[in-house]
Amino acid sequence: MSREIQQVLRLVMLLGKQRGVRVQAAGGLLVLLWTKTGAAVQSLNCTVAGAGPWCKGIKMKTLEPDLKESMFPRMSPCPSVPDPEELCAFTDLYGSLRLLLSFQMRDSRLFIPEWCVRIEEFLRMFSLVNAGIKTQLKLQFSQQTFQQEFRVKIKSKVARAKQPSLMLDVTCRTQPPECVKKGCWCQGGHPLCGSRLPLSIPPEAMERGLFGELSIQPVTLLTPCVLQYPNLATQLTNIQVLVCSPSNVPVTGPSTFFQNLPNELDCQELGLHSLHCSLDHVNSGATVYTAKQENLQDSEQELSLPSVQQTLLLFLFLQHSDPFTCHLSDSMATEALIEHHLEGILSNNRQAVTTALQTELKNALKGLNRGKKNHEKLRSAAEVILSSSISIVSCSSNLDFRNACLSSMKVRDTHELSASLRESLRRVTSWKFIPRGKCYPTQVEEQEGDEPTGREI
Amino acid sequence: MGSDVAELFPEIEKLRVQLLHNVEVTADFRRVEEEISHQEVLTRIENIILGIVTSLSKDEAPVLTLPNRSSWANVSFDSAIGLQMSSGSDVTAVRSDCASSVTKFAQILKILSVIYRLVQSNSYATKRDIYYNNTQLFGSQNTVDHIVDDISCMLKVPRRSLHVLATSKGLISGDLCYMEEDGTRIDCRSSSAAVAVSPNIGGIRNIVSSAKFVLIVEKDATFQRLLDDDFCSKLSPCIIITAKGVPDVNSRLMVRKLWDTLHIPIFALVDADPHGIEIMCIYKYGSVAMSFEAHSLTVPSVMWLGLLPSDLRRLRVPEDALIPLTKTDENKLNSLLQRPYLSSQPDWQKEMELMQQSKVKAEIQSLAAIAPDFLTSIYLPNKLRYGGWI
Repeated sequence: MSREIQQVLRLVMLLGKQRGVRVQAAGGLLVLLWTKTGAAVQSLNCTVAGAGPWCKGIKMKTLEPDLKESMFPRMSPCPSVPDPEELCAFTDLYGSLRLLLSFQMRDSRLFIPEWCVRIEEFLRMFSLVNAGIKTQLKLQFSQQTFQQEFRVKIKSKVARAKQPSLMLDVTCRTQPPECVKKGCWCQGGHPLCGSRLPLSIPPEAMERGLFGELSIQPVTLLTPCVLQYPNLATQLTNIQVLVCSPSNVPVTGPSTFFQNLPNELDCQELGLHSLHCSLDHVNSGATVYTAKQENLQDSEQELSLPSVQQTLLLFLFLQHSDPFTCHLSDSMATEALIEHHLEGILSNNRQAVTTALQTELKNALKGLNRGKKNHEKLRSAAEVILSSSISIVSCSSNLDFRNACLSSMKVRDTHELSASLRESLRRVTSWKFIPRGKCYPTQVEEQEGDEPTGREI
Repeated sequence: MGSDVAELFPEIEKLRVQLLHNVEVTADFRRVEEEISHQEVLTRIENIILGIVTSLSKDEAPVLTLPNRSSWANVSFDSAIGLQMSSGSDVTAVRSDCASSVTKFAQILKILSVIYRLVQSNSYATKRDIYYNNTQLFGSQNTVDHIVDDISCMLKVPRRSLHVLATSKGLISGDLCYMEEDGTRIDCRSSSAAVAVSPNIGGIRNIVSSAKFVLIVEKDATFQRLLDDDFCSKLSPCIIITAKGVPDVNSRLMVRKLWDTLHIPIFALVDADPHGIEIMCIYKYGSVAMSFEAHSLTVPSVMWLGLLPSDLRRLRVPEDALIPLTKTDENKLNSLLQRPYLSSQPDWQKEMELMQQSKVKAEIQSLAAIAPDFLTSIYLPNKLRYGGWI
């Protein structure tokens, strides 16, 4: 089912590309899944609806033949229509429907609950890389409704050379630690656009008709952003790799290449102890690596701060150009070929891809590793500062001086003074805040797309 | 012996009388060096620590403020003192919450704690001892040296009051006897070997000397040459001293001590090049880095005996012994001519302008091209006899 939704979105995105729809074009996307119990067979229905500028110019009648051609045989047109109220709620928000497509899976017993998770995950990733489009998922089974709206609070436009810009969802979903004051936490992220890497197409793909120029554009996003806290110790917990087709639709399914990639990477250069592919997320669409930092000594762990945990998103945008591919059906076929032969393409360019990803990850983690170095420098200096200060207080025979120090920190003796000074020094140095103009101190107000115009389909 | 010098070198005697007169006239104008008590040193250090504790009690990152010892903007010139640090000078903030400065912050605190213990126990340590006690923290001897001077400036306390000694690099020889603080008697009258300048100038007592002048020698090679030629016997009684280049604080303190105690002419024998002139200016007027201690380090009465640029022409030093000025030399010369103290030394200015015009420099050793013993047999005796200093 997610495959079919993916095909529909691919079609609409390719159409948009052909029509020169801007990346900022907003609008809504609704994916509605529902069941209707018939006499003997339960059928699973799916409606994909789109409204707003992002699907401007779509004419359903001209779209239908392409849709039929690209849909899998086991899908059939949906005999029933979705609940008009559901659609009304959607059009009220995003305007007239420009896209409305429904299809049906005959035997819904084939539909397993894990598919809901996959569809949800797929739409989440779609929303990440197409942040201008507000995506909703609704599931109505056995009179129960599950609804998920993929809210994008902060978007960032990423310019690419010779390619349309990307609009990424950079919203930080991590709650700031309690000690952070209001307005002193970056609510977004700062994507880093890497160097485009040309890929050679392997012979077997060429034999199937894949020609032209193929490349991969990496973009990294480290979240949450702690750039305003240069002394903060952070810990990278995982790296998520998300591949997108040239139409900006996420490529799902496990990838042997990416599962094995940690073995090829130089973890030490990245400042990591190890990277392991997490098999829990194999079917989610993104490849997830669990990261382990270098082992700390026990004493260092005791003294080290509870650090902020960070995740690194590594987006890999496939780019393809072929002057002989101009029809929509050709583009759809090309994308299918690229996806089908992706493993072969990556393997064919193994060394170059691995080196490029090593470079991008190293660049992305520069800030994190710098923060680690700063933190370590401050920590070791703090020990000297504290021991020297306490040494002077302890051996001073000046009662006024000693009492002034103790009363200042509201403690009774030098032992408590040492602990109190240590805690205070840790707090003021670790959470040193330097505001950055490029960070997002508050959440941006959600901006609606263009006003709804036109008529209902 | 003393009367021989007075007869043979009447000009030196005249200068000595003149200098003595100036000292009497200006005596009450010069600030007497203050002795900082042990308790005062401890109190000043405690104030620093209290400041740090107070900052942390307010959840503020502690910051240490150091006067900027490298900026010309922070010094002013007084002809009676030399280069001295101005009040309200620029400061550098050393923060404890910044990765680029926290190590320095820690180093300063560490040395403060060492000094505190030394002063409290009335014991002494050298800068080298401090460095070797924690080489990982300090990284280099230079770091310790700079920080000790920074602390001296920050607390407004002479380094010797911090009970931190420096290894002297200077040598001294001639008509001079004194006693070190530990009771050791030092006799500098050996003709063949020089005595190392004491690491604890402040502890020197019972100075005995009938020297009629002190000769500051820029280079060790020249100093050794004077020793070899028995200069101190030939022109006895006198004292020669060298710091082997840019003078360390102890050598400067020693020269100042000799001036304060003996009030005799002090001459400088340096190469006829910008570097030598600058070294001479440090003895006479002080340095920017130590301007906060100018009162105890400068000797404004120092006279330039040689090698003068005009001597090169006058003595017809062979051209192959002369060296063309480099771009660095020219820049240094220009910089020296801009110094605030040059305006009070028109004769020095003329010599430096002569060097600028001739575009050549020469080492003292170039006099050997005239004759091997020209320096000690002819040049220096004649200079001293006929008042060839400026």
